[in-house]
Amino acid sequence: MPRADVVVVGTGLAGMTAAIALADAGARVEVVARGHAATHWSGGGIDVAAPDGSPTAADGIQRLARRQGHPYGILGTGLPAALASLRSTLADEGLVYAGELDDPLRTVPTAIGGTRRAAILPSAQAAALAPWQPGERLVVCGPARFKDFWPDAIVASLRRPAVWGPDASLGGRPTGVDALVVELPGLEGRHNLSALDLAHLFDDPAWRADALERIARAIERDGAPRDGGRVALPAVLGLADHVAALDEASRILPLTPFEVPLVSPSVPGLRLYAALRSALRRRGGRLVIGEPVAGVTVEQRRVTSVAMTAAARERVIPTGTLVLATGGIAGGGLIGRADGRLVEPLLDLPVEAPPAERWLSPDPFDPAGHPLEAAGIRTDADLRPVDAGGSIVLDNVVVVGSLLAGQRYLSERCGDGVAIASGHRAGAILAPRSAPTDAREPAVAGPSEPARRRQRAGTRP
Amino acid sequence: MTIADLVQEATFGEVGLSADECLKCNVCNTVCPVARVTDLFPGPKYVGPQAQRFRLATTLPPQHPATPLVASADATVDYCSGCGWCTIACPADVKIAEMNNRARASLKAGHRPRFRDWLLGQTDLVGRLGVATAPLANWSFHNRLFRLMIELLVGIHRRAPLPVFARRTLRSRLAADRRAADRRAPTGAREAMTEPPPDRAVVLFHGCAANYYEPHVALAAISVLRRNGFETIVPEQVCCGLPRISNGLYESARGRARINLGSLADYARRGYRIVGTSTSCTHTLKAEYREMLDLDDDNARAVAGATWDICEFLLDLHDRGRLDTSFGRLDATLPYHAPCQLRGHGIGLPALDLFALVPGLEAIDLDHDCCGVAGTYGLKKEKYDIAMAVGEPLFRSIRETGAPRVACDSETCRWQIELATSTPVKHPIEILAEAYAAADQPAPRR
Repeated sequence: MPRADVVVVGTGLAGMTAAIALADAGARVEVVARGHAATHWSGGGIDVAAPDGSPTAADGIQRLARRQGHPYGILGTGLPAALASLRSTLADEGLVYAGELDDPLRTVPTAIGGTRRAAILPSAQAAALAPWQPGERLVVCGPARFKDFWPDAIVASLRRPAVWGPDASLGGRPTGVDALVVELPGLEGRHNLSALDLAHLFDDPAWRADALERIARAIERDGAPRDGGRVALPAVLGLADHVAALDEASRILPLTPFEVPLVSPSVPGLRLYAALRSALRRRGGRLVIGEPVAGVTVEQRRVTSVAMTAAARERVIPTGTLVLATGGIAGGGLIGRADGRLVEPLLDLPVEAPPAERWLSPDPFDPAGHPLEAAGIRTDADLRPVDAGGSIVLDNVVVVGSLLAGQRYLSERCGDGVAIASGHRAGAILAPRSAPTDAREPAVAGPSEPARRRQRAGTRP
Repeated sequence: MTIADLVQEATFGEVGLSADECLKCNVCNTVCPVARVTDLFPGPKYVGPQAQRFRLATTLPPQHPATPLVASADATVDYCSGCGWCTIACPADVKIAEMNNRARASLKAGHRPRFRDWLLGQTDLVGRLGVATAPLANWSFHNRLFRLMIELLVGIHRRAPLPVFARRTLRSRLAADRRAADRRAPTGAREAMTEPPPDRAVVLFHGCAANYYEPHVALAAISVLRRNGFETIVPEQVCCGLPRISNGLYESARGRARINLGSLADYARRGYRIVGTSTSCTHTLKAEYREMLDLDDDNARAVAGATWDICEFLLDLHDRGRLDTSFGRLDATLPYHAPCQLRGHGIGLPALDLFALVPGLEAIDLDHDCCGVAGTYGLKKEKYDIAMAVGEPLFRSIRETGAPRVACDSETCRWQIELATSTPVKHPIEILAEAYAAADQPAPRR
């Protein structure tokens, strides 16, 4: 008697997008995972496509869709709608994104003084997207002794025009860049600050007001540019209260602020995960982490149940469908064996991968990336896993996210786009068949009568 | 063979060596409830996998997992509450909480335990003495002056959430009930009172909370089990040893464990399932004996494999169509807090699935991490304020619901939440017993 219509394995952007889409369609969704992962390391922006030579993300999608075997070949057309749907879901949770697919990809600074191209960023980072006016200056400001954000080192790099890339002349670069280090209240002598510690402090209104006041005074003392400018801050402006923190910063600081994402723990990534999780719970989906999948049972090419590793035994969840969102090599969705094979450990799906000797390019920073990045699971148009001959391996399994073969998300910057498009598509593919005709009740809070009536019914297609 | 293979092969992955799997991704620091509220504890990554290489330096290759580890490289590990969220959230299967528990124990190894830590571990002794002197013990436990003295002399905070001693232990009540039943039974039937077979009886591991403080919780479990066709066998048993483990008293914890394993293993091998109402005790039987005390013999494996949380057991019955779902109506909003120990079981949220079967009951998953008490952690004078700060988001959510009652599976969490929100907190089994009782009463006249 299945207690879940759909089990989603993995709580990254792809898994959560799929779970939200399925819960929206009334399916009983249980998301399981070994632990947190990709979101907690993500910069919080939505990278859709930025291959070399593409001025906009929309153009990038077309260019990548033409690449042989790229997931956008299947997902490219549905992506705009999927993105719009997720953005409205996240906005309902207080996380608003700025930028459109056909906006020009802008060059924005990073926390190590480099730059990257982006078009869609959360509101806290979005001020970096506006073109730089003639004479407009940038101040890079960070707390004293904060080990993840060194203003002087960042500014030393950002002062080199080449860092801003080819369009550095026409509005692509600030006229002047200055560093500013501020002693924040009560942190004298604190050396082991993490971004999370600061984000918690910025959630406290009293501390926040004092800190922003000190930053504002420091900027003015430093001779704020008469014709305005912007200030780049580390991405620590609050976690639970990040909307208010950004509003106050925008009001109190003399320059327009924008956040720059940091290394893990990434506060923008935590905000994204919190919004996704809240959206899923609002729709009655259940999310349990800390239970690695021990195995599945398969009957006639269908996964019928998922066994979770529990203390002293396995917890078996009967399911109608399984969405595999376990990520790529970083997420553990693909594991490289010592004998040079790449395996998908959960369902042992056939993995499309280059031979071991051609996994890595000799140049570690090869602009084209490494062949290994394109490894993953090949699927049909409905994201069902197929073998080398193209026949479906498992009928009720849908693969989403960076586990999909054919994408080099590091150089193509298409990871979030593939995750959102494939997650949304999983919802569309599975929803009608998973939700039987009668009312579905959320798996979390138990309503009264329908639950008992449905238990007796208990028939599954 | 690489270290990674060594980790895979050792049962449950040798706790210390699992540090080699650590990606340094900081996810554990993002979920640590204690690091969130105090500067005294940097976070599980620093004192756990990161400091582990200093500890491992002197023990590689590990001759025997029980070899005493070198003193922790970072004394702040003492502020780890042992809630386990770091291990739960880790994407790389690093046994962070277990590593920190061992590091805490090694901090204390080699010198006499602090009197307070020893006292908090003597759950049976304190329980028996308390019940025997219940009116006096309860009065003094809630007398401001006495508690101030206890704080100064022993180091247990004067406002720490201490339970109320029962007038009679559960075991003595059950023994009395059995004697009464023996007297009532016709002489010939006495032999028939032998233990029913495993498909019609379970072994109850009541734990100290039910025995000395909350017999009504175990009695509710016994009635719900009987309604579902299971009698309850209550063999000899003592404290599971968890308070000793969390206070670094490993050797005396092993003593407790051996008594329990000796009494329970035979039942387990005969196919009886061991059911408990305390998620802490059942998790200790399932995992801590092996992971923390390195007890990995046949008895330990048999008992671990047979141990079930009461809600896990009932949900399993439901999955096999054997649960009596004729619950009466309970029109109520019931906020539910899943205790950290329950998360450690890895059994999902069985209480919520069971509440979904009770007509009229709107259960709300509060979805917070930790109430702060973490067993005996929040009772300590230097940690009480941290524990209260950890639990504050949970307490605020409970106050916001305005619900008259809350449900939570773990006893120390119930006492902590009750103290902080002055809202009664029930074990889920008590709610289910009420729902069955509601089915038996005639419907109230409209």
